[in-house]
Amino acid sequence: MSGNHHNADESGPAARVKALEAILTEKGLLDPSALDAIVDAYETRVGPRNGARVVARAWTDPEYRKRLMANATAAVGELGFAGPEGGHLVAVENTDRIHNLVVCTLCSCYPWPVLGLPPVWYKSFAYRSRAVSDPRGVLKDFGLELGAEVQVRVWDSSAEIRYLVIPQRPNGTDAMSEDELAAIVTRDSMVGVEKIAPPVRAGAKRMRA
Amino acid sequence: MSTAALNKLIESARLNPEHVFSAPWEARAFAIALKLSESGLFTWDEFRDRLIAEVRASDRIRARDGTSDHGEYYEHFLRALERLVAEKGIATP
Repeated sequence: MSGNHHNADESGPAARVKALEAILTEKGLLDPSALDAIVDAYETRVGPRNGARVVARAWTDPEYRKRLMANATAAVGELGFAGPEGGHLVAVENTDRIHNLVVCTLCSCYPWPVLGLPPVWYKSFAYRSRAVSDPRGVLKDFGLELGAEVQVRVWDSSAEIRYLVIPQRPNGTDAMSEDELAAIVTRDSMVGVEKIAPPVRAGAKRMRA
Repeated sequence: MSTAALNKLIESARLNPEHVFSAPWEARAFAIALKLSESGLFTWDEFRDRLIAEVRASDRIRARDGTSDHGEYYEHFLRALERLVAEKGIATP
């Protein structure tokens, strides 16, 4: 099986990384504690919760939304989100007629400051090879079927630009605060592979006639 | 490429949504590459070029054989990093 891990194998990736780190540390080019800090940041702080805050702000503050659509790098910077892979960020907005989908066909380009590091499927051949040629088929795999009246726009992340999808705000969320809204924004919706479902609880509390 | 392959990866992401790295060495390789680029030993663009080359070579095999990948992205990542470090004369492991 290709899925077996050979942690003890000296030629395995774990051993190679260890060897690389040791030689770079010995040369004074790396400080292991700096590596710990990077791993900690990307495992705990730099992730899709950041993007969710951006989306919630855009939903609740029309002026912020305008700034986000005009210059996303600056607008996410207002909320304190900046860093590698965030230098040329573009926000693309879903509407009743337009659905945006993001891919990096060549490798794994992704807006780190707002979404963190990409999930395995985003980097997979299965996703990268089909998102452009068959976006509706790919969306179907994610359980999302769009009507014929909806135009699908696929954004292929180049070496320069990173995209953030601003999903549609679901119905039944009028009474929710910005924090509550941020909590329902999913990573997948900000890549464009899902829509945000109306929250069940809020719907139950505020039954519509 | 098969829908089944993508479905499997989607399913596994849904089971573990906060999953960033599959193994500690992946995290370490990522941190080394980012740190070296931050230190100016190479640019992230230079690294990305190597990574794209590794990914492309793997994609060609997948397209030819009709096989799917199983999350070996960080193996491409590590090979790209090792090659760049050697090419730049930063270190020879």
